[in-house]
Amino acid sequence: MGIKELLSQYGDQYISALFTTWKLTFFAFAIAFVIGVIVTVMRISPVKPLRIFAEFYVQIFRNIPGASLLMVLVYALPYLDVLLSYFTCVLIAASLIPAAFCSEYLMAGINTIGTGQIEAARSLGLTFMQIIRRVVIPQALRSSVLPLTNLLVATMLTTALASQVPMNPRDLTGLVAHINTHAVGGVTAFLISALMYCATAVVIGQIGNRIDRKVRILR
Amino acid sequence: MPEKTIGTGSNDIPVIQLKHVDKHFGSLHVLKDISLSVKKGEVVVIIGPSGSGKSTLCRTINRLETIDSGEILIEGVKMPQEGKELARLRAQIGMVFQSFNLFAHKTIIDNVILGPMDVLHKSRKEAKEEAMQLLKRVGVDSQAEKVPAQLSGGQQQRVAIARSLAMHPKAILFDEPTSALDPEMIGEVLDVMTELAREGMTMLVVTHEMNFARRVASRVIFMDGGSIIEENTPDEFFSHPKSQRAQDFLNSIKDH
Ligand SMILES: Nc1ncnc2c1ncn2[C@@H]1O[C@H](COP(=O)(O)OP(=O)(O)OP(=O)(O)O)[C@@H](O)[C@H]1O
Ligand SMILES: [Mg+2]
Repeated sequence: MGIKELLSQYGDQYISALFTTWKLTFFAFAIAFVIGVIVTVMRISPVKPLRIFAEFYVQIFRNIPGASLLMVLVYALPYLDVLLSYFTCVLIAASLIPAAFCSEYLMAGINTIGTGQIEAARSLGLTFMQIIRRVVIPQALRSSVLPLTNLLVATMLTTALASQVPMNPRDLTGLVAHINTHAVGGVTAFLISALMYCATAVVIGQIGNRIDRKVRILR
Repeated sequence: MPEKTIGTGSNDIPVIQLKHVDKHFGSLHVLKDISLSVKKGEVVVIIGPSGSGKSTLCRTINRLETIDSGEILIEGVKMPQEGKELARLRAQIGMVFQSFNLFAHKTIIDNVILGPMDVLHKSRKEAKEEAMQLLKRVGVDSQAEKVPAQLSGGQQQRVAIARSLAMHPKAILFDEPTSALDPEMIGEVLDVMTELAREGMTMLVVTHEMNFARRVASRVIFMDGGSIIEENTPDEFFSHPKSQRAQDFLNSIKDH
């Protein structure tokens, strides 16, 4: 099939698959971000069990392949009487892993702050949580905009895990797999979705650059 | 007799009092049986060679370092171990660091109002008005909307002093506030400190600026090897140092 036939026959489905990918990406990243921040606060907290738990989390999810995690969620959880929709399973897999990386980037951002500012905050009488909220997290976030932008793109690519399960509606990669089992879309079918991934990534990158320039901390 | 007056805030109670404070870093004995007190309105200058424990002493008063034994009292109240109570007492003692330590992501004015808003629970408006007055007092009010990196070292240190003042501290600790500054900026910071002293602020100052010590100090404390070797009025100390170590130290800095 040529590109014209593909588009006339599957155009609508490509659009809806693009939206599904966007939706997965958005929610997965939002969840990853929240978990990433929480895990990071645990990693720098004075409470040792929290630190150990958080380090453990990062080590596990930074190193587990997405497909394996998805398989666990889809096939193992039902044995524990936990039944999740395929969408939810993909969403969880595509957020737990980026959350670990999110925490790594935030830790790198935190390491640029320097103990002096923390001591200044302590001597003003701020409590641990106030220092985290007012000094540590804002600076960590502002100095990790670019890595977090890359993480957002990586999260989008991770959502292609959705093609591994019979999810409805399909995501971009799932659609290509579907087309190729029903017709001979070949490389072209893949190219269309690849283009959509790329275009999204470029836009994300641009926005990230702009935000970075705005919030970057002068040192 | 002092037992009775503890916590009443009366004038005879020292603002800062250390009783037999000891501290080790591993096997290194950094503070050896340190006892000292700073009364209201006093300016106590600590001098001594590098590594003698001056910074550590300052930091223990604010509990940025813990101590092994002894007591530290702020207006007769013992520093608590940890938690909210510690934060509350800490807020009453200001600290100015060698490296300024302004919050890099916040504007100058936001640096100054953070403490008053988050710790003293003032409204933004009230905190801001007072912060502007303080910035004016230290001469950097025109820089209020800039971020620290846009200011010179001297300006940053003056902001750090204003940030401390905004908490209405009972005393301010200065740990070599001019040591990181280019020579031409040292004066502007010392001027602000001199002015503060004139206005009656209680201050504990670690410094190598002997002229400042001579002019402003109520008392000079000479430390070496973790101990207080000598304590005297600036006149007496600089003209008739009693100990050999103080004499050697004063000679060594004269050569520079
Ligand atoms: N966190 C630490 N861990 C281990 N040793 C430390 C620590 N901080 C300081 N020391 C050591 O304790 C001793 C006293 O240090 P301190 O910084 O109090 O000296 P100082 O009088 O302020 O010196 P300087 O004039 O160089 O600032 C030094 O030998 C120093 O190396
Ligand atoms: Mg020092």
